[in-house]
Amino acid sequence: MHLIQRMKIWKELRDLETRAREEPSPSTFVDLGQVYINLEMHDKAQRVAEDGLALFPKSTELRQLVDCAHRGAGRQRIAELRAKLTRSPSPKTFRELAQLLVDLGDSAGLQSICQEWSVRFPGDAGAWLVIGQMRLVNFYRDLAAREGAEAVRCLEQAVRMDANDAKARKLLGEVLYRIGAVRKSQEHLTTLQEFDPNDAEVAALLQHVSGLADSGGDVAALLADVESQGCLLHPPLAAALPRGPQEDSIALVREGLAQVATIPGVRKATFIQGSRALVKGAIRDGRDPFLRVVRVVAKAAHRFTRRLDIGSANKTVLEGDFGRICICVYGEALAGAQCDANADLDRVLAELQEIVAGALHLVGGNEA
Amino acid sequence: MTKIQEALAELHRLQGVKGAALVTHDGLIAAQSLDARFSTDVVAGLTSYLMMTTNRCLEEGRQPKAAQIVVHASNGKAILTNLDDTCLIVLFDQFADPATARRDVQEAAQMIRRASRIS
Repeated sequence: MHLIQRMKIWKELRDLETRAREEPSPSTFVDLGQVYINLEMHDKAQRVAEDGLALFPKSTELRQLVDCAHRGAGRQRIAELRAKLTRSPSPKTFRELAQLLVDLGDSAGLQSICQEWSVRFPGDAGAWLVIGQMRLVNFYRDLAAREGAEAVRCLEQAVRMDANDAKARKLLGEVLYRIGAVRKSQEHLTTLQEFDPNDAEVAALLQHVSGLADSGGDVAALLADVESQGCLLHPPLAAALPRGPQEDSIALVREGLAQVATIPGVRKATFIQGSRALVKGAIRDGRDPFLRVVRVVAKAAHRFTRRLDIGSANKTVLEGDFGRICICVYGEALAGAQCDANADLDRVLAELQEIVAGALHLVGGNEA
Repeated sequence: MTKIQEALAELHRLQGVKGAALVTHDGLIAAQSLDARFSTDVVAGLTSYLMMTTNRCLEEGRQPKAAQIVVHASNGKAILTNLDDTCLIVLFDQFADPATARRDVQEAAQMIRRASRIS
């Protein structure tokens, strides 16, 4: 790069750094991060994006910047590791490279590196485990028998080469019972328990599996059944466990909405998190304008108060010929209700606030 | 001092009120009486943004426009009142109860409406 060009870029960087400090906004951080990415300084871009996210946690652009910087840093590291493998190949370097490729979702690259890994180090089971994991992810996603058979083959090979590989054995045990090969799965899980008799997770898994019906040991036929029926035969352990805090929170939200709907004058109520909504009252479907008003006004009020420097908007009330629309916000959770002008506003707001506060477990977790 | 300015200054004198302003829908300040910490341009722009966004969204859902928006935030509160061509914004500190100041805001809004018609 030309010296003058370089000096211009450094000057621009200095100005952007100052702007980010003095007038922080998502766009300032994104501009600064973009310059660092253009200069291939991905670690600095990541730092800038993380600093920005600390101030503007809901900014989509900053999340994209973090992702972009992370991918850039990953690609840089991959190039370094490939160079290192050419100079002095080792199973450790192969493992690190394979993990990076898994993180970046580069299946073709992963396949080729694992082939090279198993050729150069035929006694190392790592390549089989990584390929098995990748195939297993594809199988659970598409329920394609071919992917399942490949996953089982690779994991069995990994277990054959390293009988003490707990991870490969666990993955194999799990996929086998999910497709119905319960007895085969039990063999692997029992061996796994022998490695560490105090492992509560394995004990719970073994107990869960022992209660399931065996459908035989013909893995190919069982995989074909899964593919033709479009579902796995047995549920995972997590689905069989008692209700967790998240399910309790959803139940609380439902109860809360029912409670709001009983207040005289309330016509409709909703709880929104992410792209999904729970509704109560006169709401036709997901395209009901009320849901859009709640989302848009909550977002606009949030921007309004943040830029006005009066903190985060937690309650907003719209009044008009339509009556009142009340909105309560807590983090990413919104609760809203439309009511008549004579409805008890304080009670409606208090109930909505209870709903968003009770949805604490849902915030940051899966969508409702 | 005009009647509109007087009405805004009157609101500003109320307990917990940090300022009041009359803003056009395109984000220009018509009159204001705000604490020094607030930039008039920022207040005008944000008031117009919130009122216009809300009303556009309501119109898209075939609902009438909002007459008033009350926003409670962690460090302050705001009441935005739609006055046809303009919008009256009153800013409060976090301890104020906008419900008690509501009558004063309504009175000021009516006075501004009358003054606007006369002028």
